[in-house]
Amino acid sequence: MFFIRPIEPRDLEELITMADESGVGVTSLPANRQKMAAKIERAVQAFLGDVDQKDALYLFVLEDSETGELAGVSAIESQIGHQDVWYNYRIGNTVHASAELGVHKQTKTLYLSNDLTGTTEVCTLFLRERYRKGANGRFLSKQRYLFLAENQQRFSERVIAEMRGYSDEQGISPFWEGLGRKFFQMDFKDADYLTGMGDKAFIAELMPKFPIYVPFLSQSAQDVISKVHTNTEPALALLKQEGFRLNNYIDIFDGGPTVECRLQDIRAVKESGVLTWFEDNNRADITNPKGDVWMVSNQKFSEYRVIIVDGANFNNGSIALTSSEIDILKLSAEDKVRAVAIKPNIK
Amino acid sequence: MYIVRPASIIDLPGIEKLLANNEVRVTTLPSDRDKLGELLHLSALSFGKQLDNPKESTFIFILENIETGEVAGVSGLDAYAGVGYPFFNYRMEELIHASHNLGVHVTAEILYLSHELTGSSVLRSFAIKKELKDTPYFELLSRARFLFMAQDPELFSEVTVTEVQGQLNDQGDSDFWNSIGKHFFDIDFHTADYYVGIKSKTFIAELMPQHPIYVSLLTPEAQGVMNKAHPLTDRTCQLLSRDGFDKSRFIDIFDGGPVLKNKTKNIQTIVNSKQKYVVTSDLVGGIKYLISNAEYGEFRCTIGNLVDGIGGSVRLENSLAKAIHASDGDSIRYSFL
Repeated sequence: MFFIRPIEPRDLEELITMADESGVGVTSLPANRQKMAAKIERAVQAFLGDVDQKDALYLFVLEDSETGELAGVSAIESQIGHQDVWYNYRIGNTVHASAELGVHKQTKTLYLSNDLTGTTEVCTLFLRERYRKGANGRFLSKQRYLFLAENQQRFSERVIAEMRGYSDEQGISPFWEGLGRKFFQMDFKDADYLTGMGDKAFIAELMPKFPIYVPFLSQSAQDVISKVHTNTEPALALLKQEGFRLNNYIDIFDGGPTVECRLQDIRAVKESGVLTWFEDNNRADITNPKGDVWMVSNQKFSEYRVIIVDGANFNNGSIALTSSEIDILKLSAEDKVRAVAIKPNIK
Repeated sequence: MYIVRPASIIDLPGIEKLLANNEVRVTTLPSDRDKLGELLHLSALSFGKQLDNPKESTFIFILENIETGEVAGVSGLDAYAGVGYPFFNYRMEELIHASHNLGVHVTAEILYLSHELTGSSVLRSFAIKKELKDTPYFELLSRARFLFMAQDPELFSEVTVTEVQGQLNDQGDSDFWNSIGKHFFDIDFHTADYYVGIKSKTFIAELMPQHPIYVSLLTPEAQGVMNKAHPLTDRTCQLLSRDGFDKSRFIDIFDGGPVLKNKTKNIQTIVNSKQKYVVTSDLVGGIKYLISNAEYGEFRCTIGNLVDGIGGSVRLENSLAKAIHASDGDSIRYSFL
């Protein structure tokens, strides 16, 4: 059975292996032992609940309970841009008009901004190749909304996600080639690595500060503004399903879009509910033939757990759980659960 | 004999004919007849000191063949660039993007839209008959303006500038314009140029992008012509260079051509000019000088011989004195050629 739990120090080795597998573009997963250890330590502190909420990183792992192997990782940053400076380009508009000349021209313009400072970010979604099947990806991504729903006071009203921007098979980002490279001779891969190492603000400070008129960029760079990497399209689709929309901010390096949703408007937050539960080890006799897939969390903080229940079965608003599910969720008799259907509109 | 004199409205057809055959573009002389007429009218008021605000003075000079009366050239001078409106240029600057940790040190060239030269005196609107291009009359037409400025130093600014036409590509198009202005206007360089002529440069300039421009984002072609003068302006640039003009940090916002700049008090023609009394004579030796009378509305300037002695007067040959409207006892001003 797969379940979600907070990351622990013992996960370091597997996480490094995972980072090696993730390749270019997952900037928040650096393949560097020291940085990764620091990251885990931050998350461990966050789950103890006593860190400044402006600087809390919640790292979750998806574990296979049978093998103990990690299948993937996902995260939430409570409030971005407090430790360093958070940069985006905002896509603005400039109008040049003259009735006398018959000119009325709109020009897309990129404004360097720190506007997203303080927002909550869902980030670092990575599922290992061999686990990319069934509901795993969806589960890893969406379980975070149960955590957000449960702990709203710890997060911003605005929740964002940065989407990996387009790059080709060689890892070349046309946006980077058209803009960043003009300001310092560095391959995207290297800039990307340094970003993962936590040097993003560092590099950002080398980038042009004045607004950039989009027509000044090469056509290939213009074409990929707000365009996601092919591998990221499924992730974007999942976010859109939950109510996230492009918000006109893009990444300053690869031009990838940012999506945003108000916390309370996220579908899984809105639709999630606190339920009682009962033990039913015969749930295999599916009484719900539609086989709705539900995510069920234990409402705990440091001992946060989420499982996926395939073919959820209810009795008087109470959800049926098997004994092994109850064990994994670490539920005592008096505990309730927070649960939501993994897909919209199948309540 | 050729002389330089103030233009008047009757020069209009002569100027039009000159411009029609001119190989260098003269944006500041409108091809529209009414607009050109207005300019000549304003010039006449300026020479007549009839303007309420002398800072609006604009002077148009004519190079005339006094035997035939033909308009052989035209040149202009504004007392105060912009005359109440901003005078637009790009100012070229550099910002360093550097990080020791990352081993990065990049110089970012930036163009800032600037009004800094507003209020400078401006040399403008130079056009001369093709046949006279390689004669001393080219120099006469250009430098006569400096002797005129010496007549009224109070009126002119501390700084004098001139916008030199930028380089065009083989199609006669401006790569600089295509890389900047065209994105914001959807009109080609020549159309923009036409509007500059019939509206005003300021009018068009106000539509240009307001944010600073990173040079590295322009096309290589546009970067290549930045601050480069059109080959046809070589002689103009040489003459101005002898007078102490130099490229500045400013370039034209349309074609990227250089803006040459000098302190007015350092213009060599003015620095080396002398004012003396005329004694007319039948025969005068000496060497050639740029010689003008000391008039304003009746300003005349030509090239002629004199002996630069130590006294307070200087002898001028009769016909020369007559050509510049100077009689015995009048002041004249002259400078090296």
